[in-house]
Amino acid sequence: MTRIPLSLIINGQTFDVLAEPHRTLLDVLRTDLGLIGTKENCLEAECGVCTVLLEGAAVNACILLAAQCQGRAIVTIEGLAAPGQLHPLQQAFIDHGAVQCGYCIPGMILAAKAYLDENSEPDENGVREALAGNLCRCTGYQRIVEAVLSVARTVRASPEAASHRTAR
Amino acid sequence: MSAGDRKEERVSFDYHEPTTLREAIDLGARFGGDARFLAGGTDLMVQIHRGRLSPRHVVSLQRVPGLDAIEVDGTVTLGTRVTHRRVETTAGFQGALRALVEGAEVVGGHQVRNVATVGGNIVNASPAADVVVVLLALDTTLTCLGPSGERTQGLDSFATAPGVTALRPGELLTRVSFPRLASRSATAFLKAGRRRAMEISIVCVAARLTLDADVERCRDVRIALGAVAPIAMRARAAERYLESRPLTDETVREAGRIAAAECRPIGDVRASARYRALLVGTLVPRALNRCLERIRNPAS
Amino acid sequence: MTPATRIVGRSVPRMDAPGKVTGTALYAADFALPGMLYGRVLRSHEPHARLVGIDTSRAARLPGVRAVITAADVPDVRYGGSVKDERVFARDRVRFAGQPLAAVAATSPGAAAAALAAIEVFCEPLPPVIDVAAALSPGAPLVHEAWASYTALPILHRDGNVCNRARIVVGDVERGFVEADRVFENRFTTSSVHQGYTEPRAAVAQWDSSGLVTVWSNTQLPFEIQTTLAEILQVPPSKVRVIVPGIGGGFGGKLRIGMEHFAALLAMKTGRPVKVMTTSEEELTAAYPRQPAIVEVKTGVTNDGRLTAREARLWFDTGAFAGSGPGVASVATLMLAGPYRIPNLLLEGFAVYTNKTNFGSFRAPSGPQANFAVESQMDIIADALGLDPLELRLKNIVREGEEGPTGQILTAVGLEECLRRAADAIGWRDRRPEVGRGKGMACGWWTTTGGSSGVYIKVNPDGTIALNTGAAEIGTAALTGAAQVLAEDLGVQLADINVVSADTLSTPFDFGAQGSRTAFAVGNACRAAVADLKRQILALASKHLGVDEHVLALREGSVVGEGKRATLAELARISQASGGGLIAHGTFVAPPTPYDAKRVEGHVYPAFHSPSFHAHAADLSVDAETGEITIHRYVVAQDVGFAVNPAAIEGQIEGGVAQGLGQALSEEIVYENGRVLNANLTDYKMPTAPDVPRVESILVQHPTLVGPFGAKGVGEPPNIEPPATIANAVASATGVRITSLPITAEKVALALSARTT
Repeated sequence: MTRIPLSLIINGQTFDVLAEPHRTLLDVLRTDLGLIGTKENCLEAECGVCTVLLEGAAVNACILLAAQCQGRAIVTIEGLAAPGQLHPLQQAFIDHGAVQCGYCIPGMILAAKAYLDENSEPDENGVREALAGNLCRCTGYQRIVEAVLSVARTVRASPEAASHRTAR
Repeated sequence: MSAGDRKEERVSFDYHEPTTLREAIDLGARFGGDARFLAGGTDLMVQIHRGRLSPRHVVSLQRVPGLDAIEVDGTVTLGTRVTHRRVETTAGFQGALRALVEGAEVVGGHQVRNVATVGGNIVNASPAADVVVVLLALDTTLTCLGPSGERTQGLDSFATAPGVTALRPGELLTRVSFPRLASRSATAFLKAGRRRAMEISIVCVAARLTLDADVERCRDVRIALGAVAPIAMRARAAERYLESRPLTDETVREAGRIAAAECRPIGDVRASARYRALLVGTLVPRALNRCLERIRNPAS
Repeated sequence: MTPATRIVGRSVPRMDAPGKVTGTALYAADFALPGMLYGRVLRSHEPHARLVGIDTSRAARLPGVRAVITAADVPDVRYGGSVKDERVFARDRVRFAGQPLAAVAATSPGAAAAALAAIEVFCEPLPPVIDVAAALSPGAPLVHEAWASYTALPILHRDGNVCNRARIVVGDVERGFVEADRVFENRFTTSSVHQGYTEPRAAVAQWDSSGLVTVWSNTQLPFEIQTTLAEILQVPPSKVRVIVPGIGGGFGGKLRIGMEHFAALLAMKTGRPVKVMTTSEEELTAAYPRQPAIVEVKTGVTNDGRLTAREARLWFDTGAFAGSGPGVASVATLMLAGPYRIPNLLLEGFAVYTNKTNFGSFRAPSGPQANFAVESQMDIIADALGLDPLELRLKNIVREGEEGPTGQILTAVGLEECLRRAADAIGWRDRRPEVGRGKGMACGWWTTTGGSSGVYIKVNPDGTIALNTGAAEIGTAALTGAAQVLAEDLGVQLADINVVSADTLSTPFDFGAQGSRTAFAVGNACRAAVADLKRQILALASKHLGVDEHVLALREGSVVGEGKRATLAELARISQASGGGLIAHGTFVAPPTPYDAKRVEGHVYPAFHSPSFHAHAADLSVDAETGEITIHRYVVAQDVGFAVNPAAIEGQIEGGVAQGLGQALSEEIVYENGRVLNANLTDYKMPTAPDVPRVESILVQHPTLVGPFGAKGVGEPPNIEPPATIANAVASATGVRITSLPITAEKVALALSARTT
């Protein structure tokens, strides 16, 4: 099978890869680019662990062809904050005990970010609904929801607090 | 005796990204049954992953212009590539066309709705497809473009069996449209599933009700049912029953009973036939009552 | 009143969170090595068949394929925890749809998949033994014809398709039923449910030139895998090294061997590292989900609600291999008794072979099934006698110092407090607030599994601490809890501790992340190690400072006394330069719990160690027409002994209830004639965020003597009571009693509709 050249824009950087046309974005991210923060599980858009942002919208990387994504800005968990820093959502997940095994968390954080980017007045039902496509088996979602709501509150209360904090 | 269902497990195909409609049609004509059009991919890619489809060519529509417009000008026209997310968030659909939003917003999760398209959903022809059921209740017409030109067909005759449509070889569904609603009309959509999200409907119901000018009598009604027949269906006997009848608790219940009797559900891993019929009998009256409330109080 | 603590008892953030929120934490599913091949397993489509032959020749010739192996290529070994009835690949008999037949290694996942499709299998289908009833019927085919010749734990009672019958006998149940005013007999059934971890089972194996194989996998029990692999590969255990990079959820489904043996065998054959990972379909057809169960309970009671006798039987469908079945059947008998004072008992747990997957251990194995039955029946009894279900329970629950069903003396019994506080929180006095709405409760008990844990603790030259443990962190924050204990005892900060874990070569033995034991056992091992370390520290400080040991104390990272002071860092540097460093070893194994051996037969698990007690309550409404259930509130009161990390424990409760509600309401692996009908996440319905209600946790603390600071195991219990709680609340709301799991809207709607017609 002939490989085709693809130019992917991930976390603001351009990556040139050679891949067969049937390869998914998820597979290229993890195998070719070593970006293992985006996880794999069902490969059928049912569990959400592979969630990335495509032009700001949450999507399942497992059912997107890498070839479809040329020239379209992709954000993975690795791109959420500069190295050594934490996005407010990441900090909130830590502070609120929203992380247990952690495997669903990268996808969950990105889905939450997409939701908050579009909703300046989030509520619990809205958050749960926005995260419906991200299965978590460990937490029961409660502290995840609290973490997401707290970020919105923080941002509303003081915009400066939304700036990135230093990671431990 | 050999192992397996002989699934073609080696996934491999050529990928094409036409930049005009003409080019897309030509590719479809060239490759015929070896090709599949790719819109959102939420059905196609899953079927490929499960080994049910193994196209040699995938023709992506994402660079073809003019397929993702929403036009509201009396008639409503949705381009085939309009996503569920766009339907869900179109302000103009929050009024009498509310069922469109209600049908779109229960499909998958945000990730699926961000890419899954109306056209892809129609062509996939699952009897449970939520937005299709709503479009059926809106008397939707489809426009298809193929090597021999453009044609239209009613949605209600388009699907012929689960996964099978009247789409001709090389044809592409380009847009769908439905007429403006008469005054004193409202729509509603209800879905039953085993959990509150990420559900393929056990049963779904869409209703469009139009009342007479001054009294609460049915001037015109459409009732569409999902997941209770090989294809999404109209409950035509129930519709005929309701026409010209006053809308009361009794008549909506009777409409529900008639709809339950005329549907043809199967039992499967999701639900039994008996429960599906029971749900039709319950959800049809509820959908009609909701339409009634919305006509009485359009702000609700 | 315990003295104030600095770190234990606080809801400190878990130590591994930053790696997880940034996507830098590595899981076995992420692990890769240069030059790695991709392995896949060919699995049977027939549930029961004579395996005539396998032709791998075409597959082996496909591009990119580097190895194809079958039973002929691996040592002829039967393995298994309680009965040695398992093989890596089927040999002449296929016993479940999904059983491994062959494995391939290739240069890409696509090439491996193509190789699977090219393998030809020749088999003659046999009628499958599709369920327990079929397996136990007269003249039923034997799932294992040679069962009697298998090596098995001597204590098991095996007979044909029954691979264990565990039994508890106390007093005389016939007499007890005569004493009773009423006798209730009820039957319940439950479905199989999958642990639903979001990370597939994965293993990467690589052999070195000395004949040692290293396997990186997401196993919960690295040391058990080491032993099992050694057995399968026919090498000494010292030639097997198992390392756990990280686990994305386990819940018991990653206890037994998963992909490790395939990876090791393929790596041996190819001379290259090989990675094998499961698909969703494999997880739902060929993993270790919870046993489906049939439970029959007969309970005698006086008119004023005193339990006089119980005779109960629980049949587990244990699938094609015994696996965890015999043990789970044993635990079941303790759960059938429940935390109640019942003077006459005849309780039996059966593990029965069928032609289905090797059902295994899932968070509180046997708990939800048995609890669903006995706690549903308690409400049936209360209803019939006109008693408040809470009062009926309070009248019969065991109290401090009383006996458990096998004669163990129960201490730290916080059950009454759990019941009262849960009832209070849910507003128990108003049990039916409106039409179609009702409240229900259930209570139970559970164990803190024993087994030993060892740790090494070393002080680094900068004063930070390395904690070296054989335990794997599966997501429960157990290792953070253990580190909190360590930090508390040693007087350092949590941030000063770095954890190294789960490497059979370099970390001490740990019995594994199972049975809610990790924080308990590793915490205690840390206490033992710190005690030793303190002795070393004080001795060294005494020499260094020239002060008698007895006036020295270790406080907040320094040794002080008589106006002199030495920091841990200084002492560590001195020790490293002169004597090899400050390093301590600590181990812990729970003391055996005495019980009356005359009361049990075939019993692998005759007593609960440091038992926990719990009560759940729910307030819900039922849509009378569709049967849909809406949970308004869900309350848990759990006796945790001592809450080492309250937020982490609440997280376990919230997640355990969500998972338990899945079993209660929507999840089931649906079988038809031995085949799974819903082997994908579209139709295996785990709860999503909109499905799960808020859970209110009440942490009750009746400290144990044995646990670190009095803690008990906490991880499994929240899974136990949800099904019974929901069943009881639905009955309260509608008068309808559903006796099978899951309690779907369909079952409720059809039952309601049958009642009115």
